[in-house]
This record gives sequence, structure tokens and C-alpha cells, in this order.
Amino acid sequence: MACLHDHSCEDHDCSSDWSLYKHIDTSKVSALNEAIPGSVRSVFKAWEQRLNSSGELLESNEGDPELLIFIPFTSDVKIKSISIIGGADGTSPSKMRAFINRDGIDFSDAQSMQAIQEWDLVENLQGVLEYQTRYSKFQSVASITLHIPDNFGGDTTQIQYIGLKGEATQLKRDAVTNIVYELMPNPSDHKTRAETGGGFSHVE
Amino acid sequence: MVLEATMICIDNSEWMRNGDYPPSRFQAQADAVNLICGAKTQSNPENTVGVLTMAGKGVRVLVTPTSDLGKILACMHGLEIGGEMNLPAGIQVAQLALKHRQNKKQQQRIIIFAGSPIRHDKKLLEMIGKKLKKNSVALDIVDFGEEDDGKPEKLEALLSAVNNNETSHIAHVPPGSNALSDVLISTPIFTGDGEGGSGFAAAAAAAAAGGVSGFDFGVDPNLDPELALALRVSMEEERARQEAAAKKAAEDASKQEKGGDHDSSSQNATMTEHATVAASEADNKTNDLTDEENSLLQQALAMSMDEPASGHDMRDTDMTEAAADDPELALALQLSVQDNTKDSENQTDMSKLLADQSFVSSILASLPGVDPNDPSVKDLLASMQSQSEPQEKDENDKSPNEKK
Repeated sequence: MACLHDHSCEDHDCSSDWSLYKHIDTSKVSALNEAIPGSVRSVFKAWEQRLNSSGELLESNEGDPELLIFIPFTSDVKIKSISIIGGADGTSPSKMRAFINRDGIDFSDAQSMQAIQEWDLVENLQGVLEYQTRYSKFQSVASITLHIPDNFGGDTTQIQYIGLKGEATQLKRDAVTNIVYELMPNPSDHKTRAETGGGFSHVE
Repeated sequence: MVLEATMICIDNSEWMRNGDYPPSRFQAQADAVNLICGAKTQSNPENTVGVLTMAGKGVRVLVTPTSDLGKILACMHGLEIGGEMNLPAGIQVAQLALKHRQNKKQQQRIIIFAGSPIRHDKKLLEMIGKKLKKNSVALDIVDFGEEDDGKPEKLEALLSAVNNNETSHIAHVPPGSNALSDVLISTPIFTGDGEGGSGFAAAAAAAAAGGVSGFDFGVDPNLDPELALALRVSMEEERARQEAAAKKAAEDASKQEKGGDHDSSSQNATMTEHATVAASEADNKTNDLTDEENSLLQQALAMSMDEPASGHDMRDTDMTEAAADDPELALALQLSVQDNTKDSENQTDMSKLLADQSFVSSILASLPGVDPNDPSVKDLLASMQSQSEPQEKDENDKSPNEKK
């Protein structure tokens, strides 16, 4: 397992660097144009498992190589570099564009908006390449959206692994992230004693 | 309870004047739209619904996605019929309206009412479908009205292009006497993939089916659980009471048959005492009277034993009337009252009433073939009184002991 670092891996544990996947809010990860809904979650795993696909990977729809991946974090992070492993036979992504702290982006937005950074990718089936970010721009990232406009000629785009290297701060960008408030009371949310079998309800 | 933003695309082309869906295609469509809006907003209060028309002068958004049902219903008024439906443009405008929804967490859905023939070719529709799928927009199609060659196939092709994990549906509604909305209620378009709007849908279906409630008491347990529970509990109490009454009536009937025997194995203690008293009375009477009068008097006395016991709750006249109406019910009530009261009370009440000459003579007078002035009857009454007196004395002796 060769790294691009100029040291041997036995001295230094690469996996601890690629630990930002632990700070991803996996329940809110979503992707557009994925063939199997929910398959995007299998792409975020530990460094050691990056080549272990076990059949699950993120694949785009037939005949359409575009992918849009929305990754929210549980706290603000700083991203130093990104590693991405694609599939064989031209299904690897060729270009990647990133947007920070915007949610609800769809394809028309992504195509028209200016990305915060763009990379030209090469086929990286062993996962040894990493793409550095302009660190000053990736200082307090609550969510990152990756847009893959094209691949190397394959029918679909396949992604096996996405790794993020950086550090997590304990801060959160939005003070309140998810509020659920009732416009109308929902009886099934309020179990009364009568329903749970017991007690008389009395009017005073 | 999926959080959803829906755009409904209405067909208000010339083909909607037709009357093959009562009262007219356009009116049937409007009813269906109203029902769908209600179902969506009820399944999740944060759902939003918007409406646009596809024909007329051009595609026009009547109301952007909102959760205010009143606004949606109001905009359905005063719509004009005319022109030709432009399906691709309608879908694209709907998609744009959904893109700019306020709450980005809502899932996007478009519902199309396709009543007029479709001019566009299948390929174009499939491309539109793919674009919708790419942006994860679900699509529901209501195919009604004109049955053009190739229209169902085109719409099916559109559906298969859009369909992502069975979130999109199509409903083909042929013309007939059923209202469009009734047919749609049972489709997944209405029920929302099996969850969510099912409560509303079930209630609406029940109402549409002509007053036959889908729920036990006409009350939706989702809407009002306490009321539904109270109704259910009172129904069960009533059922239990009636069963107990019926059971006691059956017991009482069997006990009255055994009344002549000195049967100490009868279940009810008070019943035992009554039975023994009646037995002794019967013994006395057989010595005095003939067999006919004997049996009648036995019955009368047995009843008079039973009736006064309930006197402290109800009047005996009431009891006789009730007995006339429903003898089983009367017996059951008597027995249930007997169970509740104490023995001493029973005895004293009974003896008091038996001592009441006028009462007993009135009962005897009502019996056929008994003459109150008959000396043998008078002897009998005297003997009963004398029996009741020692009983009273016994009770009075007992009660001070009990009070200690």
C-alpha cells in the first residue's frame, strides 16, 4: 500500500489523517443522479477499507455521468485534501468541482454557479492520489457539495471511495441545525394515559 | 408522513368541456384536485401544494407551493377552459416552481392531470422524465378524458423514465359513472405510498362509500383517540352488562324451577333464603288450597318475595310495568339489586311489604281464581304475617349483634 508521502507507511499511520469521515452526518448525506438511492453512504469509510468495495459503490444513472454529492458535517471542519477512487473502464470521474456551505444545489445550479475550487482528476484506482485544497478557503466547512460533471468515457460514473483529510473543530456554523415545530398537533405524538391503558381522564 | 412539496398541473383545455365524467371533465378534475390538496396537507402539516394550468394562453402558475388550503381552493374558481395542453412546458415550469420552494428539505413531486390528447412524441417525454429523475422529482400521472391512440403508451414511457424506486405512479381512469375523485382515492397517488395520507384517505373513502364508516364509531382514532376510546369502553361495558343480565336471567329461570326443593346448594345466599321461605309457604299452602290455586299462589308468592327486595331502589309499580315489558330484564334487575343489598335489608323490606295487607291482597286479587274473601286465603295471609313477624324479630336480634 504505497503512499505518495515520502516516508514508509509503517512509521506513520495514514489512516488517522483520513479520519474526517467520522464527522460526516451520514443520515443527511444525499446524492443526485445516483442509480440506487442511498448508495452514496457506502462511499465514506475508513482509509483501510477504501479498496474494499464489497459490491457497494456509488453509480450514476445509465448514460449520464453527472453526479452531485452533498456532504454535511456534524461540526465545522477544515479540509486539507480530498482523495477519490473511481471505477474501471472509464467510469472514473475526470473532473471535480466543490461548493461549500450551500445546501439544496441541483444540477442547473451547479452548472451555472462558480465553484470554490475545481480539480482535474486522473484515474486513481489504488487510492494513492490526493488532491489538495486551497486551505484558506476551506477553513470552516459545515457542508461540502461535490459536482462530478464528466468521466473518462464510460457509460456511468462509479465512485468507490471519497476520503477527506483535515481537522475537525468543535464549533458548529449554525447554532440551531434542525428544528421540528408543530403547526398542528399530531395525536400520535402525544400518547395519553388513556391510550397506554390506565387511568381516568377527568375534567376539572 | 413524507415532507413533500407538490405541484399540481391542471388541464384546462377545450377537451375538458366533455361530460363523460360527471358533471363535466373539468369539474371532476377540480374535485379531485381539492381532495388531493386536502390529503397532502393533512398527512403532514408542513407539506405545501401549488397549482398551475397547462392550457389556456400558456402555462400559468396559479399559486406557488403553499400550505394554505384556502388559497388553493380559491384559485380553482374562475378558471377558464380553452386552448391546448402543453405538457412539456407544464412539467418544466412545475419543476422550476418546486426548485424555488422555501423549505429545501421537502421532497419534490409533480401531479399531472392529462385529459387531452398528447401531441408530443415519446422521445421528448422520456427525456423530460430522465431530467426529472436526475433531479429526484417524483411524478404522478392521472390519465383520464381522451383516449387517444398511443396516449397510454406515451404516459407509461414517461412514468418509467421518471420512476425511481417506485415513488412515481400512474392512474388510468376510464369514463363512467364513478366520480374521478372516488377512483383516485384508492390509488397510491392519494394514499402516498401507503403511509401518511392513509388516515385522511380512509376517512374520505368511507364518506364517499355512502356513510359506511371505516371506523367502529364514526370517529377516526387518529383524530380523536380519547373519544374513540371512550366509545369503545362504554360499548364493552354495555355488552358485559347485557351478558351478565342474560346470564342471571337464565340462572333465575333455572332457580325458580328448583324453588320447591329445599336446595341448599344454590349459589346465591339470599336466593337460598328466599327459596326456603317460599318452600315453607308452599308447604303451608298445599295443606290449605287446591292444586290449581296452589301452583298459581306459589308463583305469586315467589314473585312477591323477589319484588319487594328491590323496593328501595324502584317502586314496585314500576317494577310490574317493567316486568310486563321485559320480564327477563326485570328479573335481571331484581337479581342484580338483590346481589348488591344486604340480607337484613332484604328481609326487613320484604317482611314490611308482606305485612302490608293491602299490597298482598291487591296481588292476590289480580290472580285469576283467587277470592281474597276466601277464608283459606285469609288464613294463609295470617300465617304469612306471623311468619314475617318472627323473621323481623330475628333480624332485630341479629342487627344489634352485628353492630357490635
